Amino acid sequence: MAFMTLDQIDVSYDKKKQILKGLDLAVEKGELVSLLGPSGCGKTTTLRVVAGFIEPQSGTFTLEGEDLTKVPVHKRNFGIVFQSYALFPHLSVYDNVAFGLRTRKMAKDVIDQKVKAILEVCGLAELAERFPKEMSGGQRQRVALARALVIEPKLLLLDEPLSNLDAKLRISMRVEIKRLQKKLGITTLFVTHDQEECFSISDKVAIMDQGVIEQYDTPESIYKRPATEFVARFIGFENFLDLRPSRGAEHIFKAPDGSSFCVDMDWGGEPFVGTIRPDDIRLAGRGQKDNVISGVVGVRTFLGKSYQYEVETAAGALKVNMDTEHVFQEGDTVRLYLPEDKLVLVQKQEQQLKTQGSGLS
Amino acid sequence: MKKNKWLTAYAVVVFAFLMIPLAIITVTAFGGGSAITFPIDSVSLKWFANVFTTKSFRSSFLTSLEIALLATLIALLVGVPAAYALARSGMKGKQLLRSVFLSPTIVPGIVVGFILYQFLILTFRIPVFASLLAGHFMVTLPYVIRVVGSAMEQLDVSVEEAAWSLGCPKGKAFFKVVLPNVTSGISSAFMLAFINSFNNIPVSMFLTGPGVSTFPATLMNYIEYSYDPTVSAVSVLLMAATVVIMVIVDKTLGVASLAG
Amino acid sequence: MKKSVTWMMLAPGLLILLICLALPLCRVLFPTFVTGDYPFSAYIRFFQDEYYLKIFMRTVKIAVITTAVCMLGGIPTAYFISRCDKRIRGLLLAASIFPMMTNSVIRSFAWINILGSSGIINKLFLAIGLVSKPKKLLYTDLAIVIGSVYLFLPLMIVTVTGVMENIDDDMMEAAQSLGASRLSAFMKVIFPMSLPGIIVGGILVFTGTLTAYTTPQLLGGNSNMVLATLIYQRAMSMGDWSGASVVALIMIVVTLIVIKGFNALAARLDRRGEAR
Repeated sequence: MAFMTLDQIDVSYDKKKQILKGLDLAVEKGELVSLLGPSGCGKTTTLRVVAGFIEPQSGTFTLEGEDLTKVPVHKRNFGIVFQSYALFPHLSVYDNVAFGLRTRKMAKDVIDQKVKAILEVCGLAELAERFPKEMSGGQRQRVALARALVIEPKLLLLDEPLSNLDAKLRISMRVEIKRLQKKLGITTLFVTHDQEECFSISDKVAIMDQGVIEQYDTPESIYKRPATEFVARFIGFENFLDLRPSRGAEHIFKAPDGSSFCVDMDWGGEPFVGTIRPDDIRLAGRGQKDNVISGVVGVRTFLGKSYQYEVETAAGALKVNMDTEHVFQEGDTVRLYLPEDKLVLVQKQEQQLKTQGSGLS
Repeated sequence: MKKNKWLTAYAVVVFAFLMIPLAIITVTAFGGGSAITFPIDSVSLKWFANVFTTKSFRSSFLTSLEIALLATLIALLVGVPAAYALARSGMKGKQLLRSVFLSPTIVPGIVVGFILYQFLILTFRIPVFASLLAGHFMVTLPYVIRVVGSAMEQLDVSVEEAAWSLGCPKGKAFFKVVLPNVTSGISSAFMLAFINSFNNIPVSMFLTGPGVSTFPATLMNYIEYSYDPTVSAVSVLLMAATVVIMVIVDKTLGVASLAG
Repeated sequence: MKKSVTWMMLAPGLLILLICLALPLCRVLFPTFVTGDYPFSAYIRFFQDEYYLKIFMRTVKIAVITTAVCMLGGIPTAYFISRCDKRIRGLLLAASIFPMMTNSVIRSFAWINILGSSGIINKLFLAIGLVSKPKKLLYTDLAIVIGSVYLFLPLMIVTVTGVMENIDDDMMEAAQSLGASRLSAFMKVIFPMSLPGIIVGGILVFTGTLTAYTTPQLLGGNSNMVLATLIYQRAMSMGDWSGASVVALIMIVVTLIVIKGFNALAARLDRRGEAR
């Protein structure tokens, strides 16, 4: 059994709207697992079930084999970093960090030693006497982290901890979180809606939508092989091609105009769709025939290191990123090559839900 | 959030304490006996009839309406420009001036009435009505300064600057841009000032004279001399009016604007 | 804004305040300093007089008890209201504001009906045989305290709710996640964070009770005087205008001391480091 498990968790508010639908998740000791998804997907609810703020209607939450589903928050010993940091404004940095140790009625000198040690680790030693109001966002973030870590929690729960920081700080903080997490070997759940942030620091990623986990895997696998159209859209696969299996030949699929594509994977019975990132489409060489489709160039936009073209093909409109050496004009006809190791088949999504998948941030 | 049942029980007790006495009054107003009893033996509306036929109630009610309305209007007329000046000017003694405008709050109402009686009525022979109005102005002004002042503070200065840049002179900009954006502040200041002036007793205790008495003061006199359900009936009528006002305020400004 | 324009806007208000507040105050209060054999002798005599001293102490005592009871009743209730969802919160807030908008005569009258010798409590006590003849509840200090609590509890609730509403749920959750039970999280986090509102509420209730006229007049009667009723009685029944003026200044001074005291307390407790 895994270190931490969620088993068949159901959560609904007002008995009507179901937030989590039979959610399962297993996390191994020492892992950093991210819950990624658009707002309203249930990722924060999942975290709050683990934290103990929400009691699920059904299902169990275990840690080290022990059922903690009904254990109250203050007896769980988990460190939580809130999106707002939730630092106590009336307490200094030192007192904020010491709060959890004092509720545990530890000896004064032990508290002092532990607080000083964690402040040192988090680079806050100089700021111990400051109040939250007197600090920058990054410093507050560190205090929130120190406060959660000093109680030596069994689990560290981070609820969008970086979303209130500016872009530069966000990157350095996420490296720091990863460093601390590995150093202390602490099992961590990390909630975020930022794909890049999530992929960069996670050991595993659970992509969520509408109360269920769509895919749970390593960042590398998800990046290369999204399992569903939703996941594909969410992580930047912007092109979806209408492909049909070709009779008799495995791995070969055909577009409506007859162009044939070889794909590096099999596909079972469910409805599917082919997908590829704009970056992975190239111009076809002169003699190339396989995995090639021709189309007409539409709108061109400048992205800095490349141009993005809208190309109208028989399999649908494709977004294609190409270097700036050669510029195509509207109306030009181009032949595009979709490499077989980059073209992926994913489970097709219900039509009406498609728009939600574009919540990429 | 999960609710603590002890806390809920505590709140229920507190609200029961707040509501039950008023509920009892309401019931006694419909009593048929000649004295206040609870529970009532029979039901009648005669005490309500009594309210409308008692002359002192009617005349003092009109006096109170008049005083509260005038005091509130004067406070707005004087207070709104002052609140604007206090919010926008960058001068040094701003905080001091603000506390000067709020100073009526630290002088107890009974003292306001007492000093005005001696100074205006006894020394300068100012009519009672005018003196009473001056007293109630002290009740209403702080509400205007506080509520309209905070609305002015919250209004973005650049809104005015935009108006000036578009060729609107400063005086005109005050009427065209500032006032329309603080109307809800002015309305809630009006409500608060009016209600508190209408209900005020201590200020009015000294400032009464022949034919000039406020409604609450008359009511208080009545209670001290005769103990019958007429007062209950008055209470019910006033509470009904309060409910109407609160519903109207809630639909327009939000009930929190009456929190003062 | 030009200075002259600023002053023009302030002038009417300042003028009225001068004529109708500052000058009358000086005119009435200044003579009290110099009457008698030596300066301030009127005040020294006030505090030497057992009867006056008793009234003064009674007034302060009633204000202290009322403030304490209002805090005790109001703070948990305000916390309850602030944690309700928006619709219920509005309803409960309205239920608290409603008594505030009801005339204080009526609110005191309500307690005459309950505490009087033929009032509800006495009838109840007689019926169940707890007492053999009506107990004197009305026209006591207790009646004034009950009436004052009834008068000012809504004010405390509304004031404190206003502050607690703005405290994020995160604070409670953060404290709980660090091992604090609900009660200790409230005491260590929510209570200190609400202190500014509690202090403001305390000032309003204390000064309000200290200077209230209606409730002590109706529920205390002539044998349980407080400073506010004393002024009226001195001036109107006894014609002792200078005596009344002395009481007036004492009320103002005590009000100011209370405001300063509470604010100093707030400044000491509320060290969130803005002023560093």
